[in-house]
Amino acid sequence: MMSDTPAADHKTRLQDPDLAGAWGWSWFILPIVLFLVLFFLLPVLNLAELSLRPHAGPGAVGEALTLANYMRFVTDPFYLGVLFDTAVIGLVVISICLVLAYPVAYVLARTKSRFRGALIFIIIAPLLISTVVRNLGWFPILGGAGLINWALLSTGLITEPLRLMNNTAGVIIALTHTFLPFMILALVTVIQRIGVELEEAARNLGAGPIETFFRVILPLSRPGLMAGYLIVFTSVISAFTTPAMMGGRRVLVMSTLIEQQMRSVLNYAMGATAAMLLMTMAAVLTVASLRRARKAGI
Amino acid sequence: MTRWLLNGWVALVIVFLVLPLTAVVVASFSSGPPLAFPPPGFTLAWYSEINPDFYPPLRLSLIVAVGATMIATVVGTCAALALQRGALPGKQLLSIFCLSPLMVPTLVIGVIGFRFTLAVWDTFGISTADTVAALIIGHSVFCVPFVVRAALAVQANYDMSLEEAALNLGASPVQAFFRVTLPLLTPGIAAGAIFAFLASFDDVPVALFLGGSDTVTLPVKIFTTIEFSFDASIMAVATLIVAGSVILMLIVDRLIGLEAFLGTGRN
Repeated sequence: MMSDTPAADHKTRLQDPDLAGAWGWSWFILPIVLFLVLFFLLPVLNLAELSLRPHAGPGAVGEALTLANYMRFVTDPFYLGVLFDTAVIGLVVISICLVLAYPVAYVLARTKSRFRGALIFIIIAPLLISTVVRNLGWFPILGGAGLINWALLSTGLITEPLRLMNNTAGVIIALTHTFLPFMILALVTVIQRIGVELEEAARNLGAGPIETFFRVILPLSRPGLMAGYLIVFTSVISAFTTPAMMGGRRVLVMSTLIEQQMRSVLNYAMGATAAMLLMTMAAVLTVASLRRARKAGI
Repeated sequence: MTRWLLNGWVALVIVFLVLPLTAVVVASFSSGPPLAFPPPGFTLAWYSEINPDFYPPLRLSLIVAVGATMIATVVGTCAALALQRGALPGKQLLSIFCLSPLMVPTLVIGVIGFRFTLAVWDTFGISTADTVAALIIGHSVFCVPFVVRAALAVQANYDMSLEEAALNLGASPVQAFFRVTLPLLTPGIAAGAIFAFLASFDDVPVALFLGGSDTVTLPVKIFTTIEFSFDASIMAVATLIVAGSVILMLIVDRLIGLEAFLGTGRN
């Protein structure tokens, strides 16, 4: 140990067997491995197996191993429709998030204002408040007798109250609200990495603010933007609470479909198949987003 | 001109973000029906008339969140120490495995937990569904990675020469760890633990799949109440949750800084 130079690699010193016994530390991995194998890995494998069994009446599956459930999922217009709706809702939500978030992220990335801290607090706060409570807040706003309908009716813009809840519109509004802070925070990191000098250079060379944005900032933020885009999309398609609450059990996306199959219809085989598909999509998209993020240097 | 547009946009987004939270608070003081706007008048009545049915779920949610956070903190911290300092083969894969529940939608964690209770019943004839223990373990599955990630992040920035200095000054390895290293890692681990607590307190799908009539958590109670009847005192309960969350956030902001806190949470 005395031979260690101050420049010695941080990592090799951490693993220096003399220091605290690297082998001793290794045992500390056991609890998590046991825990996750028993309560996570084996149950996931069980789910995979279940998705390969044929449906045999409510709450029962047959003995055979088959890919029929997957075939049915990708050919049956009902299941395919749910998958399609999930993707569309995801795309709509992230697109709205992106448009809303970009200017805010830009301001946060560039501002030196003393209000920055307060602004960050307001943006992060909704993230840490219970999802059911946040969704509940939309009821007096979007409901038939809620704020928006009251405003539109009393100004005479509409004569009949709009239906903004218990349908896809309500789901999209609440999901946008849920994931907007994530999008803003992801974009702040991206924009902060683009040097202010580049912007100034563009301005000095005669570009207006709009041209600077479209020809300098936006192209430079594209790699990080894709990473944020993918991660928020994944969260949107994985969400259950918000589509279930705001859709009033009428909006079927992958998550609400799985819950319905497992808890009401008791078609465990199809429920497991849908769950496997959703899980695979989420995992693939997460890995893709992490790769993009690494490439973008975030 | 551009500046004004930008600031206007920021203001608009802030209004959008705080709108539903404000609505919860305003509706909780409304003397009219909770979903009608504008409120005809204001009253404190809902707070004194909070449906007592909400108290057992609140208690259960706190018990489950504390239990899951404790398991996650111990198991997750151990894992992060082993991953950082141990001589483990395939460390990269192992850390991906430890973080993998984060890649799985919590609904799917609920489904596999539900199947697990069925399997335990089929194999051992023991009923584990609808028990507090099942909820705590189910929540621990998605809580553990939060602590692992936070503990790994804080260790990556930890200067090992501090521990070496303690050893050179005559401390035993155990003393050096507990009196120098652990206190320095605590803020990071605490951030992960708070994340785990909030995730547990927020969860609906896992509690829905593992719980039953005896184990209804507060989010599940709110979730199911609005499906059948809209209990007017629900807005008062929700306002109290908002107040509690904001207080917690102010404390976290003071101690670690909210931005840094979120940074350790979602690397």
